[in-house]
Amino acid sequence: MAHIHLEDGALGIQWLVLWNLAAAATIAVAIYLFGRAKPSTRKLAIAAMCIAVGFAVFQIEIPVFGGLHVNLTPFMGIIVGPVLGTMCVFVINVFSAAVGHGGWGMIGMNTIVNAVEGVIGYYLYRVLRVRLARSRFSSAFGATSVALAISAVLVVLMVAVSGIQGSNLSGEQTLANLTILAIADAVTGVAEGILTGYIVSFIGRIRPDLLGETEKGMKDTVSRHAEASSGV
Amino acid sequence: MSRRSYSKHIPDFRFVTFFAESGASIVHRMSPWTKAALLPLLVALVTVVTDLYWLLAIFALSIGFYAAGRLPVKVLIGWYTFPVIFVITLAVLFMFTVPGEALFQVRLLGTTISLTDKGLLLVATLLVRALTVVTYSLALFMTTRYNQIAHLAFRTMPKTMANLFLLSYRFMFETFDEVSDVLDAMHSRNGNLVKGVSRQGRLFAGIIGLAFVHAFERGERIGKAMEARGWTGSFPITDRVGMPGPGGYALLIIAAAMLALASYSRYFGTLLKGWW
Repeated sequence: MAHIHLEDGALGIQWLVLWNLAAAATIAVAIYLFGRAKPSTRKLAIAAMCIAVGFAVFQIEIPVFGGLHVNLTPFMGIIVGPVLGTMCVFVINVFSAAVGHGGWGMIGMNTIVNAVEGVIGYYLYRVLRVRLARSRFSSAFGATSVALAISAVLVVLMVAVSGIQGSNLSGEQTLANLTILAIADAVTGVAEGILTGYIVSFIGRIRPDLLGETEKGMKDTVSRHAEASSGV
Repeated sequence: MSRRSYSKHIPDFRFVTFFAESGASIVHRMSPWTKAALLPLLVALVTVVTDLYWLLAIFALSIGFYAAGRLPVKVLIGWYTFPVIFVITLAVLFMFTVPGEALFQVRLLGTTISLTDKGLLLVATLLVRALTVVTYSLALFMTTRYNQIAHLAFRTMPKTMANLFLLSYRFMFETFDEVSDVLDAMHSRNGNLVKGVSRQGRLFAGIIGLAFVHAFERGERIGKAMEARGWTGSFPITDRVGMPGPGGYALLIIAAAMLALASYSRYFGTLLKGWW
């Protein structure tokens, strides 16, 4: 949803290089952090499966407003964590570029935007769920909606700064034109927030262990809240 | 091909793989290194070139490359749908505001909206650029075998990323079929994807949530099975991929020279301006 659906040639070459270098640095940090945690090979297999499903779901076209699709990047952040989530969105963007769903040159830009969604989604979910002890639905809904609203603004800013090749509009004019896009993205982000809320609640009911890492510390918080409310 | 693909607008991975594994055209026989190296050169070239006629010529070359791989041209039209929608979605925000000679005007709510020649040119240019790369990208994946892609991935990506990429590539076929099955189940119960916002949300959540839970369970099982068979986190590369031959090098040199010439002409030179 807050995915930059720019195809190749939309941005100038200098911006292509810049955004791809920034994404490469982000991925390098993610790989370093992932390696430092010495993950099990099983975790890699699970992440790969997650990418495969994420990509498969990404391709389902909802026949509304000429065709929408869900992004699920904040959800992936919630489920596999911010580091692995960043690596996952990069791979999804590579697959997407291979089938024309966003340009090859846009992989860098898309990865930055999607990584921001995943990271914000994860940390905000933890704040809402673990610290504030909100329900899974409202935590996931809040985290996803905010993450996608922020990424929608980020998308517009990145495109406005870079400029569309051949449009000869100023940065301010480009920004004004793209504001509609940001609003539409933020609105669809709320819809995706509701969807993510349902998904996380669903997974929490049938496989709560999958949310175990993300909700680490939850038990303590719950007991603290219970203690506080019972006056102990 | 998959048991059934979601849509004719999205390339089916099994269909793509079928052509990659079974084809024997001249493009299939080309070194994967040549084909892979041509991709960034092409992306850079369509980014740098601004003249619509030159872009059309490059697009024609891209179509020629696809056709030389003896790939089905008819399906390309369906696969172009999404790139075209993406370009139009963005360009529609610009095509009415780019200054130029008005081709068409309409008064709406006291404001004159005009489509200019430059606005139209912008859309056409963006479209041709996008379709050129999409065509080449599909041709690349439809003419390169899995083992060759695996080799390239291990040579060009960090090991962890290459593992993640190749594992998910292998899982992709299964998950596409699984998501298709769940969608089938929904359709067979007379459900559809736009039946009321609240029902749609829950319906989708069920589909996606179940797909993810299945994916995790399958990932865990596969991970355990692979570990039991001695998997340590990386794949052995079974196929060696030969370096480009003289023809491949010639192609790369020509593409690089075109890029250098186009870049010089656009950013530095006034000498080649008239010719270009």
